[in-house]
Parts: sequence; structure tokens; C-alpha cells
Amino acid sequence: MLGDFLNPYYLQVASFIMINIILGLSIYVTLSSGQLSLGNAGFMGIGAYTSALLTINYDMPIVVSVIAGAIVAGLVGILIGIPSLRLTGVYLAIATLGFGEVIRVFMINWESLTKGAVGLSGIPQIGRELLKVSRDAGFNPLDIGLKNNQYVYLLVLIILVIINILLIWFLVRQNKSRVGRAFAAIKMDEKAAEAMGVNITYYKVLSFVQGAVISGFAGALFAHVMGYISPADFSYHRAVEILIFAVFGGSEVIWGSIFGATFMTLMPEVLRFISEYRYMIYGAILILMMAFRPQGIIDVPLLQKLQLSKRRGKHGSKN
Amino acid sequence: MVLKINNITKNFGGISALTDVSFSIKEGEIYGLIGPNGAGKTTMFNMITNMFPPTSGEITFLDEKITGFKPHKITNKGICRTFQNIRLFSQMTVLENVLVGGHTRSKSGVFSGVLRTKGQRAEEERLRVTAKEILELVGLSEFEDAIAENLAYGQQRRLEIARALASDPKLLLLDEPAAGMNDTETADLYHLIKKVQERGITTLLIEHDMPLVMRLCDRITVLNFGKKLAEGTPEEIQNNQAVIEAYLGSEGDDESA
Ligand SMILES: Nc1ncnc2c1ncn2[C@@H]1O[C@H](COP(=O)(O)OP(=O)(O)OP(=O)(O)O)[C@@H](O)[C@H]1O
Ligand SMILES: [Mg+2]
Repeated sequence: MLGDFLNPYYLQVASFIMINIILGLSIYVTLSSGQLSLGNAGFMGIGAYTSALLTINYDMPIVVSVIAGAIVAGLVGILIGIPSLRLTGVYLAIATLGFGEVIRVFMINWESLTKGAVGLSGIPQIGRELLKVSRDAGFNPLDIGLKNNQYVYLLVLIILVIINILLIWFLVRQNKSRVGRAFAAIKMDEKAAEAMGVNITYYKVLSFVQGAVISGFAGALFAHVMGYISPADFSYHRAVEILIFAVFGGSEVIWGSIFGATFMTLMPEVLRFISEYRYMIYGAILILMMAFRPQGIIDVPLLQKLQLSKRRGKHGSKN
Repeated sequence: MVLKINNITKNFGGISALTDVSFSIKEGEIYGLIGPNGAGKTTMFNMITNMFPPTSGEITFLDEKITGFKPHKITNKGICRTFQNIRLFSQMTVLENVLVGGHTRSKSGVFSGVLRTKGQRAEEERLRVTAKEILELVGLSEFEDAIAENLAYGQQRRLEIARALASDPKLLLLDEPAAGMNDTETADLYHLIKKVQERGITTLLIEHDMPLVMRLCDRITVLNFGKKLAEGTPEEIQNNQAVIEAYLGSEGDDESA
């Protein structure tokens, strides 16, 4: 019954959407303190390689290695963040883009560890591992009418959805707290924020490192969902893709990058023929958005409108 | 002495914005800093809050040397300012602006903020209560949820003061708070600054509105071309020949922003 609905291909696309949403959130959180970092593809790569190597070489459980991948990305984020946050605006964007390329070159050339441009394969997959665990526990997916691959992809998707819910919950709550207000204050007027007692260096590094940790986390998940990774997965193209999530969806509100990541992942899947021209379309979108809607599709006024019409629908004229 | 300015000099490239200026402010005073456009008044605020470092000289606050401290640390010590060219967090609500002002008087971090621990909730509540009380004081209670940039000009000036007060300063620096205000608003501002004084807060006031300055201030320093021209009580300043020639006399055609 359930088995007839679940097309493994759709499940996998949905999983990619989830990973891309995490990446979209990684650029959003750094943007929320007014800084544009294009280094998140690099941090994603660091998380992916760290976690993959820990599981391949040391048999570490995936749960632990994914967290380790995020932490290593965060540590590199601190090292990169402190000096580069003297830069602002486009200079920071360029410097972090350069950082991403440096990471990629490392991955290609440190062959003894990374297997160079070929990349790593045979990375333990979250789904397969869980299938093994289920089998050992005497559970067979067929019992609930699912084929093995349906079961595997479904579990992965559920895990990713849960992770996303937790992450969004974290960021929404952070936004409404003292830390979130400090980020927003820096974004709106750095000098005024400083004059009001906000330690701008600390909060800028914090939001940069949060972006690094989140993208490292997304990278580690990516490695254990795909099962193979190569430096090309974390190239300049990826950096632009992540940027597009925020620019297209909206960089001012959390729902913007979520929408952007979802839409941009679905588009080439739905419109197959577009896939080939992907990067051309990204370029066009960037230019069009900058010209006509620099804040992205979703912004505060739009959200307010949506909320208002929802309320009206519910309680008539109340509120 | 709350604040001691000792021989402050500031050069911007070839321009000397301040030359060897010294004065001291006593606790509870309203101290005026006046002078023609470009005299170096705002630059003095930037020296006190260390937005820029002075070329030479030093500043002590409550007997502690604060020259070289980061601006946020100076705010934490108890000095907070407003800006001549209003610098609110324009897309935040009025209340949120004031809450940011309370940043140094609160300490919750990422995890307590996300988990909403008991301590964090109590702290937020305290910040909110204080913020609302300050908004009441400056007369902006009814605009609490308005977006800052939508306020009228005079209201924005008062919000700047509210935001600074939220940092619980011992010394408040006001940079032309009456600029762009009409007569009623200026009268309200007079009472507001008096109320701030009653709370035991010392004020350093930059202002071009001479009647307001003369009514409010206990003592005044006059700057001219970055140099101290005179210091004294309002009467002394009004009768000082050098001041009249350099500044007060030309007041009529002085188009100050
Ligand atoms: N950041 C800066 N860089 C270069 N020059 C500056 C800077 N800030 C101020 N100055 C110069 O220093 C001098 C004093 O400026 P300041 O803003 O302190 O004057 P002011 O007394 O506040 O004048 P006003 O009444 O117009 O506000 C001016 O000549 C100004 O051009
Ligand atoms: Mg000025």
C-alpha cells in the first residue's frame, strides 16, 4: 500500500532538497549579521571529507563522524573568520570565495588522504547502515510493504526532515533572542551597534562560524547520503548555487533561503531540459534579482501579507 | 569628576579637528559643548566613545583611563551616545531598538537564548520592562511596535535617547538632540533631559539651539576651529566677547543641521 506511493527517486530528490535547505540556512545565518560569505562550499567540503575519512579509516559511527565534520568545519571557520572579518561586503565575499578554492585545491592535491580528483567512494551510507541495524533487530522492511531501497531512502528523508526542523527551530529562536538582536543590529548599522555596547567582532565571528558549522554539517550529511564525494562537489559552482538559494529565495528572512533551496533543487528536476543550462540560468537569476528584487522573492512585507490573509481566513476580522 | 578630557588633539590628515582641548564634567551636571559648524564637537564625542582614536591626549571616566578601549567596552563602562545624523536600527521596531540598547546590561548567549532557560526568560522580561519604562519616559509608548524608520523625525531623535538610556549610562552624550524639532518638541526635550538629570545621569550636550542650551546647562565649553575658546556658566559664556564674535553673534545666519 505505502510501497506504491514511495518512488525512491522522489524520495532522493526530497533528501537533496533537505540538504540544500541546510546549506541555504548556512549562508542565511552569516547574512543575518550583514556578512556575505561565499566560503560555505569549502566548509561543506571540509565537513564531508572529515566525516567520510573518519568512517572509512577509523570505523567511526556516522552520528559521531557527522558531528566531528561540523566541528572541524567550525574550527577552520574560526581560523578563517577572525582575520577575514576585517573585510566587509564584496571584499569579504571574494576572500571567502578564494578560501573555498584553496580548500578544493587541497582536496585535489593531498592525494594520500583524499584520493585526489577521483574522490572518495565506499562511504558508509546512513540508509544502508540503518537497514543493517533494522535487520539485526529482526525487522524486515517488507513487513510494512516496503522494498529495501524505498525503506532506505524513506529513513534518510525522515532523518533529514527532523534535522531541518531542529535547525530551523534553533535559528528562529536565536533570532528572537539577545544574540539575534545583536546580529540584526550589526547588519543594520555596525557603528551604532558598537556604540550600543555590542561586541561586533565577537558576534560577526560567531555568525560566520555558525555558517561554517552548518555547512560542514550539511557536507557531512551529503557524504553519507551520496556514498561518494569528490572535490568537484565543493567547487565554485556549489558556492554560487548556495548563494542563489539566498539571493533568489530572500536573504532577509529565514523562510527565504528555505524557499530558495527548495525551488532551485526542484526546478532542474521538474524541467529536465533546464538541467544542462543550469549555470546560465543561475547567472540570469542573479542579474534579474539584483535588478528587480534585491531582497529576494520572500521578504518581510510578503510574510506579513501572508500572515494577515491567513488570520482573516481563520477569525474573520479579528486581529 | 565623571569625565576628564585631557589635552585631546585629533588630526584627520591635514585637518586638525581638535587641538589640545581639555575640560572636566562633574557628577550630575548637564554640560554643554557648543561652537560653530565644523568646530569639532562631534569629533569630541567620537574621541570619548573611541569611534576613532585621538592623535594625542587621554580621557578618563570615573578615574579610569578609557582611551584605547573598544567602543562597546566604553558603553559597558557607562557612557552612551546618540548620533547627530540619526542612526537607529531602522528596520527594527521601536521596542527592539531599545532592547538592543540593553545589550550590555544582559548576558544570555546562544544556548540560553535558544533553550529559553529560566534565567534567560527572566532577563528578557527585565529588559522588556525596563525598555517599556524608558519608552514611557521619552513619550514613545504608543509606538512600541512601530518600525523605527516610520517614526517622525522628532520621534526618531527621542528613540535615539531611549536606546542610549537603555544601556543604563552614567554619562549620556547627546549630539544635537533638538535638531529638526519644532518648539513643542524642544520644550518636551527640555523636560526629558531634566528628568534624566533627576535620575542621577550626567549629560554632555551638543546643541545649536542656544536658548535650550542656556536654560539647561550648568556649564559650557565653546569650541572654535577645534580649539577651546571659553568655558563657564551660561551667563559667563553669553557675556564672553570672544564667544560672541566667533559664534553667538553669527547665530542668526547659522544654518545648522
Ligand atoms: N572622519 C573624518 N574624516 C575626516 N575629517 C573629519 C572626520 N570627521 C570630522 N572631520 C572634520 O573635522 C572637523 C570637525 O568636524 P565635526 O563633525 O566634529 O564638527 P561639529 O562641531 O560636530 O560640526 P556640526 O555642528 O556641523 O555638527 C570638520 O572639518 C570635519 O570635516
Ligand atoms: Mg556635529
